[in-house]
Amino acid sequence: MELTYLFFLSSGLFLGWSLGANDASNIFGTAVGSKMVKFKTAAIISSIFVILGAVYGGQGGTETLGALGAVNALGGAFMVALSAAITVYWMAKIGMAVSTSQAIVGGIIGWNLFAGKSTDISVLTKICSTWILCPLLTGVVAVLLYWTLKAIIRKSNLHLLRQDYYIRIGLIVAGALCAYSLGANNIANIIGVFADSSPFKPVNIGKYIHFSGLQILFLLGGISISAGIVTYSKKVILTVGNSLMKMTPLIALVVVLAQALILFLFSSKELQQFLLTHHLPAFPLVPVSSTQAVIGAILGLGLLKGGRGVNWTITLKLMLGWVSTPLITMGICFISLFFLQNVFNMTVFLP
Amino acid sequence: MFNLKISLFSHTKELEQKIDTLHDKILEISLVFKKAVNVYLKEKRSSEYRHLSKEIKNIEHDADSLRREIENRLYMHNLIPDFRGNILELVENLDKVVNEIDDVAHKFYIEQTDIPEIYHDKFKELTEQVSDCVENLAVASRSFFCNLSAVRDYAKKVYWLEHESDKTSAKLKEAIFASDMELAQKLQLGSLISEVADIADLAENCIDQLLIYVIKRDV
Repeated sequence: MELTYLFFLSSGLFLGWSLGANDASNIFGTAVGSKMVKFKTAAIISSIFVILGAVYGGQGGTETLGALGAVNALGGAFMVALSAAITVYWMAKIGMAVSTSQAIVGGIIGWNLFAGKSTDISVLTKICSTWILCPLLTGVVAVLLYWTLKAIIRKSNLHLLRQDYYIRIGLIVAGALCAYSLGANNIANIIGVFADSSPFKPVNIGKYIHFSGLQILFLLGGISISAGIVTYSKKVILTVGNSLMKMTPLIALVVVLAQALILFLFSSKELQQFLLTHHLPAFPLVPVSSTQAVIGAILGLGLLKGGRGVNWTITLKLMLGWVSTPLITMGICFISLFFLQNVFNMTVFLP
Repeated sequence: MFNLKISLFSHTKELEQKIDTLHDKILEISLVFKKAVNVYLKEKRSSEYRHLSKEIKNIEHDADSLRREIENRLYMHNLIPDFRGNILELVENLDKVVNEIDDVAHKFYIEQTDIPEIYHDKFKELTEQVSDCVENLAVASRSFFCNLSAVRDYAKKVYWLEHESDKTSAKLKEAIFASDMELAQKLQLGSLISEVADIADLAENCIDQLLIYVIKRDV
């Protein structure tokens, strides 16, 4: 049973690997691309914090994704994750930074269509609205952060060398925070569809460390993201680098910080609880795209400067990717489920 | 980890101090140069001029050592590469100004050019403009590290002083070549004036670069 499960899980792990390879560039892309931080340092820090985020903060987004479509058969979950992974990998190959969240949502809808299950429109609307809300919000947060940090720097008259030193440290800390938030927010994309059929039992290590079955699943997912970061992200980082807009150290820091805050906002159950108890507007716990967050932040800052430094061709290309990703994944998933069921005689959904 | 942080921080401080000292040296050399030319005009190669010329040589030597130390430390120090490149260029451009001042002071000493008294006032004016230009360059460069918005103000002064020094040197040369002096003396004086004015030109080049770094940094 466990071996079969692991085989099916492999598509999720492949998706995790793609996510790691792709999204690490959002965390440390500018810092490594401009040699502010060494790739080795970036890879070690993001790997550790992605796993921590996945294991300790991954539950919120998973519940929302589960509500969109409870993929109830292992074969179905395998194909949903595989179709998302194929789309992400292929899009990355042709140089389009895509969103794993959109791919997985497309996959789940494809499964819903194939299984004849209805898609919860309210949940779908909630998720789709974050695709617009997330980049917008990140853009606004980035602009506010930029103004604040710039005012602090101006007022403090810090020596440029010391500014540089603090920005370097800030990039590492913000990168770690961002990696944690990415793990917490995006683990649902790669492992969420397997949550309903998880065979893992709770594990206790010593007196204080307890892992629930779901957390073990998240741990595996986290490790797969880390593997993607370590083995393949350098290539993406060096390609993406400064392509969207030429970045100064301060802008690089602001982009990573804004992204970390937004991902955290969309994934922290504790923060949502805190906001609700204080009668403040809370955000839905939905896996959002770190790519969209980064683009939102960069565009926000670019527009702040009159939009001259922004490469609009690349921006349009990326936006085209946002529309096509869920549609392509949905198509791949639907067709593949048909083959899996009728050619390989596998159960892809339970009625 | 903690030790590493402390040592990185102390490296940063040390580098800051060295860059600060380099700016002090530039201010110092511009003041000594002004004084030295005035002494030369009054006493030619007197013992005081010799002393001042030696002082300029020493400052140039100190500035050279500082430049080398800063360059070495910049490579050891984990700075953002683009920024490191800018500081290296800046330090080298500042060094060119210092070297030029030393060369000109030495030229006075070696050639012992005879400067007729009627040109002394204009010569003093030129030296003052050039010296002020270098002074403002040093302050602008120091501001680049601590107060970016002030760089533009000092840059404006450098440009203005350089322009004025160009005008003064042109007038001076015109008067000299219209005089009855021997051609050899005219050429010698003309070359000396050009070299003094070159100091302000180098300061202007340095400011041009500095303003580009400011644009790159101030975003």
